[in-house]
Amino acid sequence: MSSIIWYVYEFARKAWVKAFADAKSQHEIVEKPARFRDFPHVIKENCIGCGSCTASCPSPTAIKLIRDKTTKEKEGLTYPVINKSGCIRCGFCAEVCPSDPKTLECGENHYIETEFTIIPSKRRFIVDDYLCIKCKACMKECKVDAISDINGHIVVDPLKCIACGDCLKVCKVKGAMKGIFIDNLEDQKKLINLIVSSLEEYIENQQDKLEILPRESLLQLSLPLSMFWDEALKIIPDAEIAHEIIGNAVDRLKIRVITWNSDKCTKCQMCVNECPIGAISFDEEKDTIVRDKDKCCRCSICYQTCPFAVIKYFHAKFVLDVDDDGNEEIFITVKPSQIDHDFIGSEHHEG
Amino acid sequence: MIVPIGPVHPGLKEPLRLKLQLEGEKVVKAEIDYGYVHRGIEKIMEGKTWQKCIYLAERVCGICSYEHTQTFAEVLEHMAGVDVPPRAQFLRVLTNELDRIQSHYIANSTFFKAMDHEMLFMKVLELREYIMDSIELLTGNRVNMGWNVVGGVRMDANEEHFDKILENLKVVEENHDRVVELFSEGPVLALRSKGVGYMSKEEALKGRAVGPIGRASGLKHDCREFHPTYKDYFDFKPIWRKEGDNYARTMNRFDEIPQSIDLIKQAINNMPEGEFRTPVEIKTGYNECRNEAPRGEVKYMCETNGNLIKHISIRTPSIPNIDSCAKYMLVDVPTVADAIATYTSCDPCIACAERVQLTDTVTNKTVIKDLDSFY
Amino acid sequence: MLDRLKDIVRKTSINVCIVNCGGCNGCDIELVACLSPRYDLEQYGIYLQNNPRDADVLLLTGAVTEQWEDKLHRIYTKVPEPKVVLAVGNCPQSGDVFAQEGGRVSAPASNFIPVDAEVCGCPPRPDEIISAVLAVVPKAMVAKGHENKKIKDNDS
Repeated sequence: MSSIIWYVYEFARKAWVKAFADAKSQHEIVEKPARFRDFPHVIKENCIGCGSCTASCPSPTAIKLIRDKTTKEKEGLTYPVINKSGCIRCGFCAEVCPSDPKTLECGENHYIETEFTIIPSKRRFIVDDYLCIKCKACMKECKVDAISDINGHIVVDPLKCIACGDCLKVCKVKGAMKGIFIDNLEDQKKLINLIVSSLEEYIENQQDKLEILPRESLLQLSLPLSMFWDEALKIIPDAEIAHEIIGNAVDRLKIRVITWNSDKCTKCQMCVNECPIGAISFDEEKDTIVRDKDKCCRCSICYQTCPFAVIKYFHAKFVLDVDDDGNEEIFITVKPSQIDHDFIGSEHHEG
Repeated sequence: MIVPIGPVHPGLKEPLRLKLQLEGEKVVKAEIDYGYVHRGIEKIMEGKTWQKCIYLAERVCGICSYEHTQTFAEVLEHMAGVDVPPRAQFLRVLTNELDRIQSHYIANSTFFKAMDHEMLFMKVLELREYIMDSIELLTGNRVNMGWNVVGGVRMDANEEHFDKILENLKVVEENHDRVVELFSEGPVLALRSKGVGYMSKEEALKGRAVGPIGRASGLKHDCREFHPTYKDYFDFKPIWRKEGDNYARTMNRFDEIPQSIDLIKQAINNMPEGEFRTPVEIKTGYNECRNEAPRGEVKYMCETNGNLIKHISIRTPSIPNIDSCAKYMLVDVPTVADAIATYTSCDPCIACAERVQLTDTVTNKTVIKDLDSFY
Repeated sequence: MLDRLKDIVRKTSINVCIVNCGGCNGCDIELVACLSPRYDLEQYGIYLQNNPRDADVLLLTGAVTEQWEDKLHRIYTKVPEPKVVLAVGNCPQSGDVFAQEGGRVSAPASNFIPVDAEVCGCPPRPDEIISAVLAVVPKAMVAKGHENKKIKDNDS
């Protein structure tokens, strides 16, 4: 009996009826603690477009770097976009973000020091399809089966590749397998430009030697690497990367040199009309032919046109090697062009 | 008669196929089919940098996610020869024990759910929420915490956090005994679980059972005993029982909770000052490390190549536990309902278990087999 | 009149079934946490049914693994009409960390069954799950109920 009274007493209260009709959890359950790591917040303006967030993200679909359209007023911004259905809320992108102030913010600011930042791998290995002879030596050597043959092209899978460099060693064709640095492309461009322009300048200054060079012989020169080394280190501080970039650039470099002997010139102006980009012009006041060196594309058409051998055309090749004393030097070989001047000339006359 | 249960079944919270052989209502034998949640996480880790892999290791198993990151971090730390600062070690113990409490609570609550005791299920889950609050407060996420990094922990904790955790633990401590009493003294639940699903010590050894399942059968093995941090700074002794039935397994897990709370208090009271993270430089090499996850022993074997993981192999406690459950526990179980309860009492975590997949090179068929096929 | 009554019932009483098609268990324990007295799914009229035949809503967790590719659609067909599928967590939406080289998953789940709504997070918090279920499911149930009725009327 007492229990029935107790039941009636319990359920007949207004508070119980109210709670029964409108049951709801307390608000506190949706409160997130201060440390809660929600999806990263992107501040577009701070982004420097380095891509370290995409490289570090453990989830493949979470972050994408996109670029706004460039308009007349301003250049388009590059910034990361978070795909919420891929993001695992680990906050690692915010941790590695190198911009200051940070582009990505996620939860409490993490403890960041330079030694903890990650660079996934300095190199990326790619196959040059033109040079590759498809011997598949690299496929056999690769320990992680990252290299595969897809429709007749040898392809390195960057996701599997562990950057050991074994494929580079076994590759039978120099340059077919490349281990390139992907982080500092702009700096690399600068360095290569520096090397090329200084080498070119050096050869142009040797004009008097080139003038007297017979057709069948070679001119050999050498330049010490230490000439550029300090400047190169200013652009790329990592000595290993800088050395490899210079080596690669120099080995592959071919410079075409054009010499101009004004004494022989008869001002026939044939070259002026032939030049495809208008680098050669006739200065009427001074009564001379003027060649704009910076504009010139070294196509050798003027050399082929000129009937009086004013213009001479040479190929220069370079190699980076150690000389007898152990100093690294850039060896230069200059060779006169093998294009038959007379033959071209005769064809020209017939035409 | 053979009764198939699963992969989606009211009794199971994860996809798995149980084949029960019945004689009348008595379960005579059971067979287990794996393979429903194989994702290939070990293969994904290969060729990734270790900084990324720690977030992948977390996703081997969602329930004991913490211990996986710690073991992964310790493998690489030992390889690099780096000593983690003491404050980081203590913070790791603190989080590890919090994770253990919540894992034990959820294991027991699913056991009660399998026994159809809704009230205890709710009570246990209610207590678990306090622990989840503490975890979220400290690490910033409830389940996959992202708290460990190689070389320490990611964020420092301050007095405020410790006070809040102690406050939450106080609530848990007050209510824990009452919940345990409901189970151990309650005639229905205790009777239904005592003597059911018995596994002797010899069988546990043969079945390679680890963790609370092994300890409930009398195997006094707990990896925390050999862990340097626990050995040097903490007062710790493994808890074990000898009954080896469902009751013992559940009680063993319940008993470990006050012990974990005690360890957390020790950690907070003796928390050293100083750094909580050191830089690590990983070299090429091989190492292995074992640790005690809530379910038992986790072992990581890892081979690196510079900054990158070349090969990794993970041994989780769930495979031997589920295997010994099928072989020794699900023998002579009175009813099918008890068979489900017995299966749940061994705290199965299928997500942990499935990382190996065998491919038949002749037919190109993939098979995922039980443990015996590997020996 | 009957339709309106049906709508009200469909809105207020939602039976969900959890299908784990190959996840890490993180989302599953968060769904179990939703049942706890703290979050209390049942106060909103959401009931957990572990049998797909009893359920209106499939809560899908996990990236679809190889074994689930054929089974997922079979489970979907067993759910009575009108039915709603809710993808919980990132795995059924994008495959999360498993959808990369070496992973054996065939995410997203929408390749196999139509997915009506998604909850992001790895794993989402229980209150995120509940608010998503409440925001999407009642409306979707009613809408699907009307849709089915139209098709039926056209047929007859």
